Amino acid sequence: MVNLTIDGKQITTSKTSTIYEAAKENDIYIPVLCYAKKLLPYGACRVCLVEVEQMKGRLIPSCTTPVTEGMVVTTMSDEIKKVRKTVLEFLLVNHVVDCPVCDKGGECDLQDLTYEYEVVTSRFEGEKFDLPKDEANPFIERNMNRCVLCGKCVRVCDEVVGYGSYSFINRGFETKIATAFDRGLDCEFCGQCVSMCPVGALLPRPFKFKARPWQLKEVNSVCGYCGNGCTVTLGVKDNEVQTIRFNDETGVNDGNLCIRGRFGYSYVNSNKRLTKPLVRRDGVLKEASWDEAIQTAVQGFKDAGEQVGIISGARLTNEELFLVKNLSKALGTENLDHSGGECYKGVTEGLLETLGVRASTATFPLVEKANAILAIRSDFYETHPVFGMVVNQAIRRNEAKLSIIADKFGKLSKLPNARTLLHKPGLELNVLNALCHVIVEEGLAKTEGLNGLDELKAALKEYSAETVAELVGGDADAIKQTARELAGAENAAIMLAYGLPYTAYSKELAIAAANLALLTGIAGRQGSGLYLCGEKANSQGAIDLAILPGGKGMGAQQMLAAAGSGELKALYLVGEDPLVSYPNRSLVEKALEKSFLVVQDIFLSPSAQMADVVFPAASFAEKAGTFTNAERRIQQLHVGIKSPGEAKTDFAILQLLLKELGTSAPATPAEAFKSLAAETPGYEMVSLDMVGPQGYVWGGDNLEPELKQLVPVAGAQPLADKYQLLVGSALYHSGTLSTHAKGPNAAVAAPYIELGREDAAELQLVNDDMLKLKTVEGEIQAKVKVDRRLPKGVFFTPYHFAELELNKIYSGQPAIAVEPVKV
Amino acid sequence: MTESTEQVQEQVEEAIDLTAANEVIDKYLTMTGNLMPVLQGIQEAYGYIPEETVHLTAERLNVYTSQIYGVLTFYAQFHLKPRGKYIIRVCMGTACHVKGAGRLGETLEDRLGIGHAETTEDLKFTAEYVACIGACGMAPVIMVNDATYGSLSVQKMDEVIQKYQAMD
Repeated sequence: MVNLTIDGKQITTSKTSTIYEAAKENDIYIPVLCYAKKLLPYGACRVCLVEVEQMKGRLIPSCTTPVTEGMVVTTMSDEIKKVRKTVLEFLLVNHVVDCPVCDKGGECDLQDLTYEYEVVTSRFEGEKFDLPKDEANPFIERNMNRCVLCGKCVRVCDEVVGYGSYSFINRGFETKIATAFDRGLDCEFCGQCVSMCPVGALLPRPFKFKARPWQLKEVNSVCGYCGNGCTVTLGVKDNEVQTIRFNDETGVNDGNLCIRGRFGYSYVNSNKRLTKPLVRRDGVLKEASWDEAIQTAVQGFKDAGEQVGIISGARLTNEELFLVKNLSKALGTENLDHSGGECYKGVTEGLLETLGVRASTATFPLVEKANAILAIRSDFYETHPVFGMVVNQAIRRNEAKLSIIADKFGKLSKLPNARTLLHKPGLELNVLNALCHVIVEEGLAKTEGLNGLDELKAALKEYSAETVAELVGGDADAIKQTARELAGAENAAIMLAYGLPYTAYSKELAIAAANLALLTGIAGRQGSGLYLCGEKANSQGAIDLAILPGGKGMGAQQMLAAAGSGELKALYLVGEDPLVSYPNRSLVEKALEKSFLVVQDIFLSPSAQMADVVFPAASFAEKAGTFTNAERRIQQLHVGIKSPGEAKTDFAILQLLLKELGTSAPATPAEAFKSLAAETPGYEMVSLDMVGPQGYVWGGDNLEPELKQLVPVAGAQPLADKYQLLVGSALYHSGTLSTHAKGPNAAVAAPYIELGREDAAELQLVNDDMLKLKTVEGEIQAKVKVDRRLPKGVFFTPYHFAELELNKIYSGQPAIAVEPVKV
Repeated sequence: MTESTEQVQEQVEEAIDLTAANEVIDKYLTMTGNLMPVLQGIQEAYGYIPEETVHLTAERLNVYTSQIYGVLTFYAQFHLKPRGKYIIRVCMGTACHVKGAGRLGETLEDRLGIGHAETTEDLKFTAEYVACIGACGMAPVIMVNDATYGSLSVQKMDEVIQKYQAMD
């Protein structure tokens, strides 16, 4: 610790602090333009100049100068004021002062400082910039005439996002911030640059001319897309979410968001939202009253007796899931499951056998301190982008070594010194086994307290790095390097994302990942962690609350099969669209056709179109309650807007159903939380007032495994087919929900089939050609996208799009053998 | 850039053989601070920095394309457009200026149709107006690649141009 004096105030602060940080901690105001909490000190703008008694004769930039013992700092004097004012005058020489039409007005740092320092006239005259605006993309408008060259966008895109869109180009007066070759912006569109810009040079286009910042009501909530659980601060006006506001004070994401969180909110305001209950009369879905809809649904359930199945989505709040569970009890059925059935179930079963806990063992911020990181599946960045940004920061700030077990290259592979352990489709397990083999053979395993070591050792014999490398088409030395790094690191992380498009080997993968986490000591060690990251906003909550088949109950896939064969009479889909997103379309289709079907959704999804009763539900922006993210962080949602028309929250709908069934239901989400906490392991001691702005992590930062059981798992064999299709997530989308949002849709509006350059040349395909992929089960077709990500013979398609009807050929295989035909 | 030079450039881009660029990158791959020598090497091999080689360098050195573009536009030594076989540097330093360097520039523009930083369509000549090249004793002076021609008049300048026009 260091002692210093700022403006006569005695201050003790960390020796790594800068003068600015020390002042800020103590509520002493120093103006800044180029400083940002999450970025490294830069010192470009010279607005934060202060006087330091020990460094007399010049003014000192407080944002880059570290504190020293006994330092005496003055943050305001006539001299300082004069110099700051001059700095502002210089900035305003070239800056176009078009504040009346600038969306930044009211929250522009330059405008505020100009006002504060009363820069009424300027002593200098100079050329104003006259650069064309960049409006090449629908998300971010770049107006470089307003730029003050603080470099925040350049730095955030490098230090945090790891994409590197921007750079300073040219020299002297000509210096400006540009993309490579000074073209229109074409990137991930996460908008971190927009959130950092202190002036109106970078602005969100969807928000243009929508509202002045002071007209917006700000409501903190949790993003409804993925399991990262980012805080989104809704900017609300006229009962519409107008924009997502920057907020780095609340939650786990440090103000960082991805394209879905920042630009994907518009589905909330969509005019295609369901606004009235629908009931099928004479074969047609017609608008009905809530009373009629509820009575029809309950009658249908009653007629089915115990032959009812409930499949819930994982974007419901914990409180709503609790009511779903209550409903299953009231209906007397154990046929209860949530998204994916096999997939999520497999992961949780695998974890239970090995670690005895069904959750990530550590929190996201800990990854920033990791020395070695292993990501299983290249799509990890696509499914959990903001967690991916934490990984990037670990590499850049902490020189963490990243390895990726991947069937294709992705964003993670491009991060500095990243090692991609490329393998043929479907062979993740083999690579994981090889990593375990190296650790055991080289005596690197932390064997204390582990059960089943001998059995695992015997089973791993066939998985030497060399054998596996040859089978998977990888590099044995790279596998060994990764194994040594993971075993030797003080803090390490293993990350595995799961979700609907990743159903193959899910149980085995969870076990293999847990084996590795146990052998390396990562599971349970302070500062290290095994991360199992669910695809949806409340995937972890659904597991915690056990929205899973009980006793003799059926899982999602079984329920669908049983409904198809007539064994199950009624199905209730709560926020799920299995017809589009579940594997095996014909099975789903038959099930939805044959059963009495009740669907609850915010859109008339393809599944809802087949329903007998449709309940219009509410989006995340319209509800209160809690989500539990992929690191076990329970966070509160707050009501931002009212639901359109007669739509109700899932909570309210479930209350009505329970009442109609003659059962009592908790009156409010808060009351429901009390009840669910009492009966959910890990939540027993949690009350809502403990769930503050940073949420509450049940089980603590490091969750101690209850078991340390190594379980051998067999590897897989590669497909022999020349062309294989991988199914997964695209960065711009999440589930099927994002296909209703303008933002993600503007980036990727339609399904595509991605392939590498070699295959494209061989098949004589160029971008946007139509390609058909045939299998024994059927065929799909979509436009071609050629790039450098995919190895030869491997195609990729995202699963989000209804029109692709991917599940006609996808039934959960690790890779699908296909025959490509140019259309 | 005129339309025809754009077409020429497109043809050049299409025909870019990356072997030479890969060789340069191989040579410096493990060196720290290798971006400058790589870019200089590529320019030496191709006469300018073709866009394809920038993408290749970005990928192989794991540097952002934008960052390389920043470096390329910062230093006057790098050229992103194809340049002529003969680079004519017209000195615009004080001595040459007084001795009529302006007229030499006009002559060049008149005879070859190119001004500062422009290249003839046939990719034979590039004109550059530069600050002092350090031969004030021979003002006004021009350089054609490495050869220096001093004490020039418009007529002598014409002779120099004709000499290079006659060469391949």
